Amino acid sequence: MNTPAVSIRDLSFAYTGQEQVLDHVDLEIQPGERFGIIGPSGAGKSTLLLHLNGILRGRTGKVEIGGIPVGEESLPEIRRRVGLVFQNPDDQLFNPTVEEDVAFGPLNMGLSSEETVGRVEKALGAMNLEGFEKLSSHHLSLGERKRVALATVLAMRPDIVAFDEPFSNLNPAMVEQVIGIVSGLKATVIIVSQSIIPVLAVCDRIAVLNEGRIAAVGPVDVIASTG
Amino acid sequence: MQHAFLDRYSDLDSPLHRLDPRVKLVVFTAILLMMVSVPRDEPLTLLLCYPGLAILLALSRVPVSYILRRCLLVTPFVLMAAGVMMLTGETNGRAVAGTGADLRSLAALSIVLKAFAAVIVLSLLTSTERFHRLLEGMRALGLPPLLGVLSAYMYRYAFILSEEVMRTSRARLSRTPGPLRTGRIRTYGNQAAMIFIRSWERSQTVYNAMCSRGFTGEFPPTSDLRSSDLRSSDLRSRRGDLRSSDLVFALIVPATFLAVRLWG
Ligand SMILES: Nc1ncnc2c1ncn2[C@@H]1O[C@H](COP(=O)(O)OP(=O)(O)O)[C@@H](O)[C@H]1O
Ligand SMILES: [Mg+2]
Repeated sequence: MNTPAVSIRDLSFAYTGQEQVLDHVDLEIQPGERFGIIGPSGAGKSTLLLHLNGILRGRTGKVEIGGIPVGEESLPEIRRRVGLVFQNPDDQLFNPTVEEDVAFGPLNMGLSSEETVGRVEKALGAMNLEGFEKLSSHHLSLGERKRVALATVLAMRPDIVAFDEPFSNLNPAMVEQVIGIVSGLKATVIIVSQSIIPVLAVCDRIAVLNEGRIAAVGPVDVIASTG
Repeated sequence: MQHAFLDRYSDLDSPLHRLDPRVKLVVFTAILLMMVSVPRDEPLTLLLCYPGLAILLALSRVPVSYILRRCLLVTPFVLMAAGVMMLTGETNGRAVAGTGADLRSLAALSIVLKAFAAVIVLSLLTSTERFHRLLEGMRALGLPPLLGVLSAYMYRYAFILSEEVMRTSRARLSRTPGPLRTGRIRTYGNQAAMIFIRSWERSQTVYNAMCSRGFTGEFPPTSDLRSSDLRSSDLRSRRGDLRSSDLVFALIVPATFLAVRLWG
């Protein structure tokens, strides 16, 4: 039997002093799958994503990435395997230049500068950002910043790329562009989104999250037809 | 979203913009040090430095209104510091000949003049050079990499803060048409609270994003990256390659301020 890319079992979580945000969540995502998680605002989607690489850890339940339980000792390995792309690229870009932002992850992984330089080049190339190395990202357009943010994640060569609301605040042309980019990725892809239509266009399977509970899981056509 | 770039006038063309970033770093730091070190009972010396700042500002072509707005931002804090000085500063009861001012008022005035000078000098520095070029300059001058990284993070957080200010200002303006009157002070209070909470939340998200990419509290050695052949920064490879205009500026401007400082 295949080891799932992501396995979440009976995960519950509450922010300190607040009510339950995730309520006994069970989920299994297979390697190479494009998996969508949809649900209304406040359903707990972003909170769930932050559990995938141990930024948040539930008091009960278990999260495994490629068979490795997420825990204190496994964090470096987990963060290498799971790349999170945040909703707002400006949260992800904080270095003075594009190349330093893209190099941040590989350097944290302890790679040599030669290897890092190679990865920066490849990641920027994959996002059509050749020649952007020395620019500062806050001078770029939103579309370009989104691609730089994805490049910072791709440079770590993650097995899983998880996107938080990749389609929010985008015009239709940019939604098309993001769909194209996401479809081209070789990694396992997880997309969390309030906008259902682009998720239907990209994903193989979808889970519906509502008030912290998985309300339905299934192939795109089944979920789409049941509404 | 339109950013309120700290270095938003850094693409202008002026004699100051054309100078080497290393020269600007050294000269502006020197001016700052000279002004800050003026004894606090000599506000007149500080006042004499202001024409020098005005000339630099004029040379830079950075809009005066922009610099004034930056000064306005710090005014409440400056006045508060000056007020504290007026109330609690030491008094020798010594009256300065001809002015009748006591030491407390002189010290308070000095604080105000120094604070605005610092804002003007730093605004000029960041408005006449792209921020990452200043960082390269700092590295080329041999300053520790950590200092550069810390400046970059402070710069980053300044952005977050200014974005929140713009966001909440727009939200407030869209709800309160017309000029704001004192009766709407509460709106300002709410805005300040919102800005604080949102900035805090966003810095949390930025921190999460950093951790997601393997950050464990230690900044990766980007300096190693820089020194490798492939990416030696253009400044490093041009070390010593200053133009005559750079040298003239580096000599004349600090010398002028030093003269005012010593004999003003
Ligand atoms: N850092 C936090 N501290 C406290 N409560 C939070 C925090 N982040 C989110 N929440 C709350 O958790 C719930 C789920 O939020 P979130 O995961 O962001 O939902 P979604 O991404 O589906 O919109 C919301 O009620 C939100 O107010
Ligand atoms: Mg969310």
